[in-house]
Amino acid sequence: MKILVADDSRVMRQIVIRTLRQAGYSGHDVVEAGDGKEALDLVRSEAPDLVLSDWNMPEMNGIDLLTTLRASGSTVPFGFVTSEGSEDMRARAATAGALFLIAKPFTPETFGDALSGVLG
Amino acid sequence: MTVEAPELWDVLSIAGEVWTSFIGPDEPLVPAGEEAFPVAWSGAVSVTGDWSGMVVVEMPEHCAVAATSRMLMIDEPSQADVSDAVGELVNMVGGNVKCLLFGENSLSLPVVALGRVTPPGDAVEVCRADLQWSEGPLRITVHSVAQSGVTS
Repeated sequence: MKILVADDSRVMRQIVIRTLRQAGYSGHDVVEAGDGKEALDLVRSEAPDLVLSDWNMPEMNGIDLLTTLRASGSTVPFGFVTSEGSEDMRARAATAGALFLIAKPFTPETFGDALSGVLG
Repeated sequence: MTVEAPELWDVLSIAGEVWTSFIGPDEPLVPAGEEAFPVAWSGAVSVTGDWSGMVVVEMPEHCAVAATSRMLMIDEPSQADVSDAVGELVNMVGGNVKCLLFGENSLSLPVVALGRVTPPGDAVEVCRADLQWSEGPLRITVHSVAQSGVTS
């Protein structure tokens, strides 16, 4: 499977990728995007099986990315990995079509719980 | 649970969780006495809305480099890596502080500076955490401001 990791922090992208491995999801292809606009382009060109996206990013934020994807007919499974994990943000994410919201800081166990239904 | 303004206990709890998750489970961040140190790196995020303010993280050089090294699991991070890591640390602390607050608020992208970030002139320090970990001291401050803004 191919996973797109979108975050404007390269450090955080590396932590997300490492945590995927620690959660037992090794062997997947990973594509990285530094903002929402780049992620939108990569969803169209790379056709990932899952998008893990930050919320607060330059150019295009995560919720606008998800809304744009759904408006264009994309049904790619989408989850947020963000420092803002309030109930309000979780509700907004779910309403827009996100499968889950993982709040930073996170652990491999958090990833395992969120991804078990998506990556198997 | 939401609060009118963040308190020291909130900041200590959030920072401790960030540290044990991303710096290392055996690297506890503990409250320390106020200690003067040369601030080489600062990161700040602004919260605007029903509560407006700034969250600032300050570290000496060796602390910022060591934290970046742990986060990336590399020995010699570049200056760009350190800037990125400091920004992500304050983003996580600020994002979690924002989640505690009552009302509608939004979080800015992080600003990172070599040296100190200067809060706006009307900023009022509402919370200050002087902390220590194995690599040295760091400081987290929360400022309430009438109009949010950051200068460096």
